[in-house]
Amino acid sequence: MMGWIDQNEFLIGSTLTVFLLAISIQIPLRLGVISFASIGYYAIGGYGTAILMTQYDVSTWTSVVVASVAAAAVAMLLGLIISRLNGLYLAMATVSFSLLLSAVAVNGGSVTGGAVGLFGIIGDITIWHTAGIAVVIIILVSFTERGKLSRRIDATREDSQLASAMGINVTAYRRLSFPVSGLIGGLAGGLAVNLKTAINPESVNFTLVVLALTIIIIGGQASWIGALAGSLFFVWLPEILVFVGEWEEVVYGTLVVFAAVLVPGGVVGVFNDWRHRRSVARERPKVALLEAAAGESDAELTQSRSGKDG
Amino acid sequence: METSEATEAPTYDYEPVAEARGVAVHYGGIKAVDGVSLGLRPGNISGILGPNGSGKTTLLGALTRMVQLTRGSVWCQGQNYSHVKSDRVITLGISRTFQSVRLLPERTVWDNIILSTDVVFKREGDKVEGLVKEAIARTGLEGLEKARPDELSYGMQRRVEIARAIAVQPRLLFLDEPTAGMSRKERSDISALMRNLRSEGLTQLIVEHDVGMMVETCDYLYAMNFGSLIAEGTPQDVVRNAAVQEAYLGKHGRHDA
Repeated sequence: MMGWIDQNEFLIGSTLTVFLLAISIQIPLRLGVISFASIGYYAIGGYGTAILMTQYDVSTWTSVVVASVAAAAVAMLLGLIISRLNGLYLAMATVSFSLLLSAVAVNGGSVTGGAVGLFGIIGDITIWHTAGIAVVIIILVSFTERGKLSRRIDATREDSQLASAMGINVTAYRRLSFPVSGLIGGLAGGLAVNLKTAINPESVNFTLVVLALTIIIIGGQASWIGALAGSLFFVWLPEILVFVGEWEEVVYGTLVVFAAVLVPGGVVGVFNDWRHRRSVARERPKVALLEAAAGESDAELTQSRSGKDG
Repeated sequence: METSEATEAPTYDYEPVAEARGVAVHYGGIKAVDGVSLGLRPGNISGILGPNGSGKTTLLGALTRMVQLTRGSVWCQGQNYSHVKSDRVITLGISRTFQSVRLLPERTVWDNIILSTDVVFKREGDKVEGLVKEAIARTGLEGLEKARPDELSYGMQRRVEIARAIAVQPRLLFLDEPTAGMSRKERSDISALMRNLRSEGLTQLIVEHDVGMMVETCDYLYAMNFGSLIAEGTPQDVVRNAAVQEAYLGKHGRHDA
């Protein structure tokens, strides 16, 4: 077991950081905010950590924490500015934000290392630390997936007007999702840069947006389990698909289209439907009885109607 | 936004549960609602009758703060709530249903009903389950708590919405076309349910264009056309009113409803 972990340390670490990035996108998405800004937060976390560690000799953990908090602060400001926008407009604004940051990375001169980026970022973060952080995030996120809070989140996403008629402060929930997403996105970047020991503009561009979104589509939007399943799938699939070589992207694309069309709820959606059907099957006798009663009164109705007409 | 300066309090011989004072809602040049004043009598079922596009639903939107007032003001128990945010309206004791079914599709009946209750009663959490059970019993949904909306008939889905609206123990319930698209049996069941709620003291305002259902259910009727009230009174008086008949039958071809 330990041998296998040592052998696959990089893939395991990648899975975990990609998972954190996916969670960062998923949190606003669960509130109906389609935001691609997480790539920007990831860039702030990654570059921030790299700059602090390589140019200012700040310790690893302090760098990661400072960079993540900076990402959260930027996210909060962004949220205040753009949370009034809706749907596609909001999505476009967040794409611009992320692309803007990747342009800053390219043109940042010696601070960001330009097109080459920054390298030699060697800290003391192991995959055990990363795993521990992921577990903490999972625990926190799972609190938002049960009980009252999850109902309010669902209502905000599904029908924001209904949600506010039900007394839910939709704007507050949506605004709050920005710094939370920013913190987790920044953390993902800071941890990833330690894992890869390097960062460059290529690694924070639009490809990453597409990757994170597909992870959520494959895994499902509703739960951290979906984000984890999707991350496992996409980090390990290339290992399995080595034999398809250049066709890798085609295989990816096809899988995503199939997932979106056939299982729109993702892996988690399929599981939830199955669980619900099982619980209904147990209740079936009762429901059937009620339906029969309703059917009878419909029959009476038809009779009385035809009686009147004739 | 101009508000309320020209709308002094009208006098009623009762204390209205909620009031609209000179309410106008304009969208650019379109006057969806144009100067409507009404005061809802406590314990009554009032109804707003009118053809499609007459401004009924917009007026309901104004009374629930979902659409912005261009002029006028809305009042609840003597309090002007024209500037209260829409998510605070339910805490004033005003609850509503919508023109189309709006339930959370992935959630059970129970979850849909408890949604608003645990927001409104967040400081009295131990009351919430009891209130939901009571609402389920009053709307005849026992045994369906675990079903999802798509497993229910349309009439049952509407009941879930009514249950959700009454579980918060409102003093006023707005129902936007509660029987639209229902069978006759379902319609008379809903009408009976509303009269039951009235006997328990709940003031209601129904918006509807089905004249028969309104006459059967309401104590007091308002008729609207082109954004204004054209008649009010007992249901019999209102349906006999010439202006109302014209709005519905379009004697001069002014309206094709």
